[in-house]
Amino acid sequence: MSDAVLTMAGVEYAYRRTAALRGVSMTARAGEIVAVTGPSGSGKSTLLHIASGVLRPQAGTVRLLDHDLLSIGEADRCRLRRREVGIVLQFGQLVPDLPLIDNVALPLLLDGNDMAGARTAAAGWLERVQLDGMAAVIPAELSGGQAQRAAVARALITGPAVVFADEPTGSTDLLGGELLLDLLIGAVRERNAALVLVTHDNTIATRADREVRLRDGLVDHEVRLT
Amino acid sequence: MATSEVLLALLGEQPRHGYEIKHEYDAWFPDSKPLAFGQVYSTLGRLERDGLVEVVETRQDGAPQRSVYALTDQGRRHLRDWLTKPAPAEGTSAEEIVRKTVAALRTGTDTAGFLTRQRASHLRRMRELQQQPAGRDPAFRLVRAHTLARLDADLRWLDLAAELTHRAQERGSNP
Repeated sequence: MSDAVLTMAGVEYAYRRTAALRGVSMTARAGEIVAVTGPSGSGKSTLLHIASGVLRPQAGTVRLLDHDLLSIGEADRCRLRRREVGIVLQFGQLVPDLPLIDNVALPLLLDGNDMAGARTAAAGWLERVQLDGMAAVIPAELSGGQAQRAAVARALITGPAVVFADEPTGSTDLLGGELLLDLLIGAVRERNAALVLVTHDNTIATRADREVRLRDGLVDHEVRLT
Repeated sequence: MATSEVLLALLGEQPRHGYEIKHEYDAWFPDSKPLAFGQVYSTLGRLERDGLVEVVETRQDGAPQRSVYALTDQGRRHLRDWLTKPAPAEGTSAEEIVRKTVAALRTGTDTAGFLTRQRASHLRRMRELQQQPAGRDPAFRLVRAHTLARLDADLRWLDLAAELTHRAQERGSNP
């Protein structure tokens, strides 16, 4: 597909002798939400770490936008990851000592933007995820759901082409999880970015356009949900 | 579902004629199969025979004649008793998906294939419901939440069945 943002083909990965992925291929297109599901240990999180360039597969190819993620240099890969990839993990993973506004502004600061501009953008995103008025708060003062919303703001602030979310509602309650997904999906759709949503929860998987189901490190089946 | 008792509840709100009962019933349970007119009238007939409802007015406003039904005292007591008693915790017969899975396993048909297709069908239905706004009416939201919870329970069972089937195949024996 021409508008594929992410293309993985024949990806294999093993932790020491334990095979986590045994030849997985998948794509995500611009504006598409893909749920990656499967029993625990099926390779969901490994797939996400490889797709986002955190882990390097032992075989296969990973293309992100127009780049071969495995053959470009480390500096290019880092830049690509900073600008075009947003990541939301299960527990926010915010920097404990930084006020919320700087946590959200961090990706822009790391990418060399000036502080004032980055903070203005971060303030806009805090409002967007319904955390306005909490700019000076540090992460320890937040509920699980609030921390996750801040993580969504941080993931989206650079305007990434693809967002990866690994069990993003894992630390929220039921209604908080719905709000989080509404905000995440709304922001992704608005930007026409791709969203790869790793989850074991069927009620979350159904928010996606397509399900890729893994079992034992292989794609068991794919289902179009729209 | 105990259609008779739900009809009593609808008449417990206010007296209604058959046509209104059907439409109000469908509004109470919008995700379920609509109630057939035939069933409304046959149920009302039975409830009237048993002394639980009575015709309190017959309207003839141009259109065909319409009987307005209301609860009798006995009907009101019956409704109150029904709402006091808990419903049975288990269904009395196996669900269709359980029957199909067992039949597929027993006859050596492609069980994994069936489970995958069933999973896809359940996911699509769930997505469809999630995308229809539930509105603010708390009763409506509860009905919707229950439908989704049941679909989710089915899905978890389907996943378990797929896992067990897969393991049994790997062992090369019947589960």
